[in-house]
Amino acid sequence: MVIHAKNVRRRYGETVALDGVSFSISEGEVFALIGPNGAGKTTLIRALTGTTDADGDISVFGQPPRSVSRDRLGLLPQEFAPADRLSARELIGYYAGLYDESRSPDAVLSDVGLSDSAGTFYENLSGGQKRRACVGTALVNDPDLLILDEPTTGIDPTGRRDLWELIERLADGGTTVLLTTHYMEEAQQLADRVGLLSGGELIAIGSPAELIERYGGDSRLVIETADEPTVRDALIAAGYEPRSAGRHVVVWAAAGDISAIVEALDAANVEYDGLSWRQPSLDDVYVELAEDDVTAADGILPEGRA
Amino acid sequence: MSRIGRIGAETTAAWYAFTRRRTAVFFTFFFPVILILIFSALVRTDPTGGGLFAEPAGYYVAGYIAVVVLFTPLSRVGSEVARHRAGNRFEKLATTPLLRSEWLLAQTLVNVVVIGLASLVILVMLVLTTDASVSLSPLVVPYVVFGVALFCGFGALLGRLADSQDGVIAASNGIAIPILFLSDTFIPPELLPGWFVPFMDLSPLTYFARGLRAVTYEPPANAVTAAGEAGLIGADPYLNLLALVVLSAGFFTVGAYALPRTD
Repeated sequence: MVIHAKNVRRRYGETVALDGVSFSISEGEVFALIGPNGAGKTTLIRALTGTTDADGDISVFGQPPRSVSRDRLGLLPQEFAPADRLSARELIGYYAGLYDESRSPDAVLSDVGLSDSAGTFYENLSGGQKRRACVGTALVNDPDLLILDEPTTGIDPTGRRDLWELIERLADGGTTVLLTTHYMEEAQQLADRVGLLSGGELIAIGSPAELIERYGGDSRLVIETADEPTVRDALIAAGYEPRSAGRHVVVWAAAGDISAIVEALDAANVEYDGLSWRQPSLDDVYVELAEDDVTAADGILPEGRA
Repeated sequence: MSRIGRIGAETTAAWYAFTRRRTAVFFTFFFPVILILIFSALVRTDPTGGGLFAEPAGYYVAGYIAVVVLFTPLSRVGSEVARHRAGNRFEKLATTPLLRSEWLLAQTLVNVVVIGLASLVILVMLVLTTDASVSLSPLVVPYVVFGVALFCGFGALLGRLADSQDGVIAASNGIAIPILFLSDTFIPPELLPGWFVPFMDLSPLTYFARGLRAVTYEPPANAVTAAGEAGLIGADPYLNLLALVVLSAGFFTVGAYALPRTD
């Protein structure tokens, strides 16, 4: 077990940041923490890296966080802003110089796609390039445990996918990865397991597929229309239970129901601008659990909450 | 090797961070120049007694150097701590092998070089613009080194206590100005109320100023103040240096310990 946390608690005055969080991460696993702002994700990461004090039992590589060999950890803090008048190569070289054994700065720059900007001052890099340089600082020591607090925030879609590939390569090579993200697509793409924090509690934990099956709801057909009341009435008349949101009417339906719904709309002679069918995703899990703050039911409860 | 490597990496980064800020470099060296021009060339001294500067020019050499030894590390290290906090850099560094004392030592080394050069500028300016006779002694070097280390530690403490870079600047000015003028730098103890004189011994800068003056200044027979009469340990350069070393070790230790990890 790389990380084992049991009943972790942290308060800031009256504010409860972590309220009995328990979970573990195995070697080589990619674990994603999701949850709204202020849910406790960053506090949990700080508790795991020993940069804040927390109650409860935490072990990293079998040791208390502050006793772990720093050579084995790589951290990208949230909103990390390194020295801005260092070039990308100097920045990576600086962090590499803090370790006895480190990777070549040029190899790290290549990994994060910054070889062409190696000589550019950090302050002159684009927002996405800055974030990639910051990710690079967490890779200089070839860590066994890589902790990334919102690694792709501010990165364009292409850069984000490049980083996903990098994280997947590292995981394939045996690196354990713990990341936080607000991008559900990212968690779904990268994570072996996902933990959902809300109000300082880990309210659900499991593989993306497990969470989607449990909390994602049914697949749905979204009808875009300027005549929402008529569309809604036609669907109710056909036996469905639609929900409306502005120009969109949503019907929970399996793929096989699509033709019947379209026929019902045509029979009612209503006009609509578009139809889209989609399967539930981690977005739906997030909305269902984090926004409604529903306590997880049995089956996929976090460790220690059963 | 590893400790030296870490300090070297941090020192190099800190050096670049300073030298690549042209405004910071310019004003770090412009500050002592303008100081000398105002007080030595414009206000001038009045060795016959009375006035703002009643002592010979050489008397104030220690005071001029005290200005940069006090202000520069206090504001630079304090600001650097504030910048590190704002950018979550200490959180990152806490997960690397770099120790907090190594970080502060690296900042101190950079400040020693910068302030050493600034002190040299002060000495040259004084010789060029006044009739000051300066006795150069190798003891000047440890005075500058330990004085800088002391106020780097103090700056780290300020950076921890102040909640922003603006807060650090305001706090360092608010603390440095009374320290500067009440530490036997420009104002001799004879010009202060008798009851206050013992309090001068509480200022670490007093030991720097008295000791350095004893090293660099040879008072003439008609001097208003005979250097070396005031204070707990007088003006013995070795005793004052010892006090400075002890105080700098204390401030450095406290400053390093005060550096935050995260919250």
